[in-house]
Amino acid sequence: MLMDVTLSLLEGFGTTVQLFALTLLFSLPLGLIICFGSMSRFAPLRWIIKTFVWIVRGSPLLLQVLIIFYGPGLMFGLPLLPRFTAALVAFVINYACYFSEIYRGGIQSVSRGQYEAGQVLGMTKSQIFFKITLLQVIKRIIPPMGNEWITLVKDTALVRVISVYEIIWMGESYIKKGLIWPLFYTMVFYLVFNGLLTILFGWLEKKLDYFR
Amino acid sequence: MKSVKNVLALVMSLLLVLGMAACGGSDSDSDLAYVKEKGTLVVGITDFAPMDYKEEGSDEWIGFDADMAKAFAEDLGVEVQFVEINWDNKAMELQTKAIDVVWNGMTLTEEVKQLMGCSEPYCLNGQVVVVPAEVADQYQTTESLSGLNFAAENGSAGAEQLDALGLTYTATDTQAKALMEVASGASDACVIDLLMAGAMIGEGTSYPELTYTVQLNSEEYGVGFRMDSDLVDAFNTFWKEAYDAGTVMEVAATYGVQESVIEK
Repeated sequence: MLMDVTLSLLEGFGTTVQLFALTLLFSLPLGLIICFGSMSRFAPLRWIIKTFVWIVRGSPLLLQVLIIFYGPGLMFGLPLLPRFTAALVAFVINYACYFSEIYRGGIQSVSRGQYEAGQVLGMTKSQIFFKITLLQVIKRIIPPMGNEWITLVKDTALVRVISVYEIIWMGESYIKKGLIWPLFYTMVFYLVFNGLLTILFGWLEKKLDYFR
Repeated sequence: MKSVKNVLALVMSLLLVLGMAACGGSDSDSDLAYVKEKGTLVVGITDFAPMDYKEEGSDEWIGFDADMAKAFAEDLGVEVQFVEINWDNKAMELQTKAIDVVWNGMTLTEEVKQLMGCSEPYCLNGQVVVVPAEVADQYQTTESLSGLNFAAENGSAGAEQLDALGLTYTATDTQAKALMEVASGASDACVIDLLMAGAMIGEGTSYPELTYTVQLNSEEYGVGFRMDSDLVDAFNTFWKEAYDAGTVMEVAATYGVQESVIEK
C-alpha cells in the first residue's frame, strides 16, 4: 500500500518538479528583461511595465491560472492551450514579475559611486554592468531568491484547479478511497525538496561570501 | 474557503458573460461534425464510483458512465478520452471545448439545464442523509435532522436540498470530502447522491461505519453537452438503441445500478 501510494505521489511530484524547473528556466531571464524595462529612462515604457507588474503581482496567481487556461476559449472562442502549458505560462509571467523586482532591488543597491568610478576609468555602460555591478547583485539577491523559489515549490499546488495532476491532486484522490494519510504524506515530498533548496542556497551564500 | 469560492464563481461568471458576448452565434457549426473531425470524444469526469472510477492498480476508467461513454464514442466512430476535471468548472470546461461532454452521474438541476445542452434523463437518483450507523435510529425522519451539523458538496443537489430545508452545512469541494467529514467526526451528517451512498458506504466498502437514512428527494441523472449541440440528439438516439439492444441493462448490472436505470 505504502509503495503504491508512494509511486503514485511520485508521479504527481514529477509534474510538480517539472513545473518548478520550467518556470525558473523561463522566468529568470524574462524577469531580467522586465527589470530593465522598469528602470528604463523612456517614461512610457517604464509606466507600462510598472502597471503590468502591479497587475500581475497584485492579483492572485490562482485567478491568473484560470484566466490563461479558460480565458481564450471563453472570451474569443479560441482553442485552448494544453493544461500544463497554460499553467506554465501563468507561472512564468507571475514569477518573472517578482524576480524583476528582486533584480531591481539588487541593482539599485549598488552605490552610485561605483558607476561613477567605472565611468572615470573609461568603462562602457555594459562593462560597468558586467564587471562591477553584476557580481554584487548576484550576491545580494540570493536570500530573496531563496524565498521566492521555496514559495514557487508550494505554489505549484494551485494548478490543480485546471486539472493538472500534481502531487496534491494525486494525494487527494485517495480520500475517495477512504484514505486520508496520502494527502498528508505529500508534505514529506515538499519538505524534502525545500530542504534541499535551503541547503543549496545556504551553500551559494557561503560560496559568494567574497566581499562585504 | 467558501468565500474564496464565491469570488471565484463571480469572476468566472463574468468571464462567461464576456465570452458569450464576444462570440455569440459562433456555435452554428455542428458539434457532432467537430467531434468527428478531430476524432476524439473528450469526456469530463470525476472519480465517482460506480459511475466513473479506476480499479486498484489499473489505469483504465470503468463504471456505468465510463463504459457507456466508450460505447457512445465507438458508435460515433471516434476515440474516447477521459479527463478528470474540477467539478466546479464543468460548464466552463464544456464551453471552452476543453471537454466535449460531462458524463459523470450529473443531476439535472435547473442550474445545469441553463448552462448545458442536456440529454434525456437515463438514471434515477435521490439525495440521502448519511450518518454513523450507531446513531442511525435517531435520524429516520426529516424533522429529526434539525440541529445536526451537515456537510455537503458546494453547489451540489444535496446542498440545494439542505438550503430548501433551512439546514446549515459546511461546503466541501467533493462529495467524497463530505463523507470524510462524517467519518472523521467533523460533521454529524452529510447529504450525498443515493447511487454514491449505495456504492461507497456500508459493509464491504471504505466506510463500513456509515449508513444512510432519510431520502430527501428524487431526481434524475443526465449527460451534459454544449448548449444547442447536435450531440444531444445523437446521444438520445444512441441511448434508445443501446437500451433496446439490452446493452444498457447489461452494463448497469455489472456495476449494480440496474434498478436505477430509467426505462426507455
